[in-house]
Amino acid sequence: MLNMNNISRIYQSDTIQTHALRDFSLNVKAGEFVAVTGPSGSGKSTFLNVAGLLDNFDRGQYELDGVSVQGLKDDELSRLRNEKIGFIFQNYNLIPDYSIFDNVDMPLRYRGFNASERKRRVEQALEKVGLASRFKYLPSQLSGGQQQRVAIARALAGEPKILLADEPTGNLDSLMARQVMEILHDLNKEGATIIMVTHDPDQAREVNRNVQVIDGQLADFKIYAPLDRTSENSGKTVSAAVSASIAEEMENA
Amino acid sequence: MRSDSLFVYNLTLAMQSFKRAPTLYFLIMLTLSIGVGVLCANLALVNSMASDPIPEKSGNLFHINMNTWPDDQPPDEPMHILRYRDAMAITASDLPKRSAVFYASGVYARDAESTSMKRFDSDVRATTPGFFELTNAPFAYGSAFQKSRGMEIVIGDQLNQKIFAGKNSVGKTLELDGELLTIVGVLKPWILRPLFYHPTERRAFNLTDDIFAPLETAIDLGWSIHARSSSAVDYAGIEETRDKDVYYLQVWVELGDVNQKPALQSYLDNYSQQLKDAGEHPLAIKNELHNVNEWLKVNKVVDQKVLAFTLASILFLSVCIFNASSLLLSRFHAAKFEVGLRRAIGASNRHMLMQGLTESVLLGLFTGVIALVLSWLFLKLSVQFLPRLTNLAVLEPKLLVLGMLLALVTSIASALYPLYRANRYTISAELK
Amino acid sequence: MNIKALLKSLLLRKFTTGLLILQLAITLGLLINSVILAVDTNNKLAQDTGLDIDNTLIVSLHPTSGEYRNLDYYRSIVSEDLQQLSELSGVESVSLMNQLPINQRGMLGNVYDLDDPEIVHRDKYLRDSKIFLTNENLSNTLALALLEGRFLTKDDQLDFGSDQNGNVLITESLKKALYGDGSALGQETNNGRIVGVVKDIMLNPTIPVDKQYGVFANRVMEFIFIGRYYLLKISPGQVEAVRNKVSDTILAVQAERDIYRIMTMAEHMKRFYSHDKGLAELFLLLCGLMIFVTAISSYAYSQFHISRQKKYIGIRRALGARKKDILLYVLTENWLVYSIGCALGLVMTLGFNILLSQYISLSKPDIMLFLLASAVIFIAGTIATLIPAIKTSNIPPVIATRTV
Repeated sequence: MLNMNNISRIYQSDTIQTHALRDFSLNVKAGEFVAVTGPSGSGKSTFLNVAGLLDNFDRGQYELDGVSVQGLKDDELSRLRNEKIGFIFQNYNLIPDYSIFDNVDMPLRYRGFNASERKRRVEQALEKVGLASRFKYLPSQLSGGQQQRVAIARALAGEPKILLADEPTGNLDSLMARQVMEILHDLNKEGATIIMVTHDPDQAREVNRNVQVIDGQLADFKIYAPLDRTSENSGKTVSAAVSASIAEEMENA
Repeated sequence: MRSDSLFVYNLTLAMQSFKRAPTLYFLIMLTLSIGVGVLCANLALVNSMASDPIPEKSGNLFHINMNTWPDDQPPDEPMHILRYRDAMAITASDLPKRSAVFYASGVYARDAESTSMKRFDSDVRATTPGFFELTNAPFAYGSAFQKSRGMEIVIGDQLNQKIFAGKNSVGKTLELDGELLTIVGVLKPWILRPLFYHPTERRAFNLTDDIFAPLETAIDLGWSIHARSSSAVDYAGIEETRDKDVYYLQVWVELGDVNQKPALQSYLDNYSQQLKDAGEHPLAIKNELHNVNEWLKVNKVVDQKVLAFTLASILFLSVCIFNASSLLLSRFHAAKFEVGLRRAIGASNRHMLMQGLTESVLLGLFTGVIALVLSWLFLKLSVQFLPRLTNLAVLEPKLLVLGMLLALVTSIASALYPLYRANRYTISAELK
Repeated sequence: MNIKALLKSLLLRKFTTGLLILQLAITLGLLINSVILAVDTNNKLAQDTGLDIDNTLIVSLHPTSGEYRNLDYYRSIVSEDLQQLSELSGVESVSLMNQLPINQRGMLGNVYDLDDPEIVHRDKYLRDSKIFLTNENLSNTLALALLEGRFLTKDDQLDFGSDQNGNVLITESLKKALYGDGSALGQETNNGRIVGVVKDIMLNPTIPVDKQYGVFANRVMEFIFIGRYYLLKISPGQVEAVRNKVSDTILAVQAERDIYRIMTMAEHMKRFYSHDKGLAELFLLLCGLMIFVTAISSYAYSQFHISRQKKYIGIRRALGARKKDILLYVLTENWLVYSIGCALGLVMTLGFNILLSQYISLSKPDIMLFLLASAVIFIAGTIATLIPAIKTSNIPPVIATRTV
């Protein structure tokens, strides 16, 4: 599905060259749910930008759903993003002036669907995230979790090949985060390919594959995990985090 | 002391702000000053046209229109030009403090003693002597002639400059169309805007006359009529007009007391009625008295085209204000972060408002200066396009002040909404 | 393009949008009315006068010496002037007149048939008929077209102190006013006996074309002191050559004369309309400035709007919008504003037209002009917003993943 081979991304400022990604290789198969972790500044954001065709790269090969992306024109990249990728951002990135419906509808318009097809897809997607009744609301009238679910609906509506989630629960409290994660897991069970960047080791554990980016390179989790302080601690915090989230859920109930 | 330093601080901030976005502020100043400049130039024209040229007694001076045309086809009803005998009948009344009966003529003038044969085209006012006191004509040398007949004249400053280089020419003799007349008085530069005593025939913005000659003498010499005249009969020259139905004289009277107006009116009406009773005219009794400002209004001395253009310039200025407003809005939006920061470290809303106002006042001052220069330019330009208004194109001090005020007001007006918005940014920033 | 959503987002910034729309509307209103004014003036200048305006030269002059009070002397000098002028090469014919055609005022008088003096009550224009005192050469000099009867001749000339009215030539519209379709020849008017009718020439442009009432009498020698205008018919192409010689020729006959102006009839006509033309040009100048200011505003508006939308443009790009989609999005938004502005501008145009008509005469706006002016606004606006729009479409999609 996604195949990166020796990707390098170099940021050039006046005096310094920064290798955000160096010889980065990753292969994600259809139906996988991959969590990408790593300390801040490790290059995981750059990885996501490159994977999502938002940013270009300097060296290497990248194949997305059988299409080799290097050398593609800007318009072709736009088309690939629109058709093959569904984005879920940390801060939802909904357009505040638009209703829920118009937000989900927006990428479909760029796809060129007719009105009835768009309507069908928008309704279906909102159904899936449980917000079908709120389609007239503005984003500001919804809670953070609901907004993120709208963003997921927007990503799903185009029936993408792959979902790219960038810290999807970063701005949410644990209960809402839970709901969002469950939706993602459900989608994965239905066969969706998901790559999720996260700093939360608990979330990383839940998924079927876990990769770590350090200094712009892919680190084999199993090899480096014991040496990594955060991963070492993660074992202890899992149960605590889960019990905390349950406690909160009780409170809310 | 504290507010003093804060004011200076605000000034420095404003200057910094200008320096930070020079193009934007330049555009704001440019558009606002063009708008103010155009309007100010127009207002200068309108001001010249609409002003009262003799405010000290404009309410006491009356121009007389009468309705004495001998048949039922008068050119106008009533007419602003009168027959010789009608005019004389008015002067015979002792109601007015003084009166002036005159017509406009023109002669070619040269110094009779000069060797040069060069003659100067001169506008003539052939008038009764009451004219000078009635119009407050300012004498530089000598005095008015005392009678309506006599080979004496008063000359204006311009002609005196041309022929006698501005020296005291009282006692000198001018050759006017072959006749020799002696100068008894010389006027100071005399500007009447509008030329209230003769605003008809589009003369409201002509200069005052070059030569003032006794009425009877001018008639005797056959100096032709250079303004509107109407006659019910044929005549060969003005010499014959005294007892004919030739209408060409204008009459002004000065009343010592405005309350005498009804008395004068009935005097005129009586006179007309007597003529009518004698079968000399078939028309309705319709005599009109207009004081200076009424007479200027009747004659529409304010150029309608300039008024139309003033209207357009007002619209233009509003467009300029809208423009400045949207430019400032984008500027304040760009400075949102800084505003938030200042608010965070304790600047009150009032401080921010003062800072914004200081900036727009400063902007207004700069705009005003440019606007005044531009309005002078536009005035010159307008006169290029409308040469008829040349004598009007003056920027009086009053207008300079007005221009400055306009610039300040427009500058502040265009900053009002952006300032209001800028202060709201900070509130939402605090909420976050 | 989601127009409904666009409208909604315009509503959210109603102040700035409203300002721009108002500006556009005012600009359009002024633009259309200024163009109308300019077109009106041009039409006036281009109207047919019935005269060969380019090849007719006018000399206006006045004697400066008292000698001219002797009318015999005056007459002899004028006769000599006319003789000398007619001998200049390029001059086909010379005449003189008391007043010029294409003028508002001048020497006016009542004209009626002696049998029907009451007619002046029915047609007020008859009270302001133009009375031309001229000589027998006028028909030749102005190339008047004879419709019936004959031109004036030397025999029609009256002498000093004559108390007869003599023979007159009248214009076609005057003939129609007095005698309808019948013949006017031999009829007695208060101004004289009609011996001929000529086709109308433009006498007073401020009154209707069918009210150009004029009477021509061969009496200028009788009233020589009002013969202020010499008229010269010039062979095509010779105007400048003759113009340069006129002053010297006249002054050589007698130097004590003030020559005010030597101009072609076309220049005289231009002078007549100079105030109108000046006003129209001032209006157009103001329009230019206004379009300039409005263009700046359009630029500032989209620049401001875009600076606030940067993030959302990035999101759109991330979700698959192509550069041209964004370009179209920004332009559509502007076009929508312009459309509303132009629609409001239509109202503004009509209102402004009515307002201006209180002060000056002005034709009514027509729809073609409105469309044309709207096109100008659209083009000017699009050019002004093209740079910000292109800049916007270049916003990289990667902005979407940046957290604020």
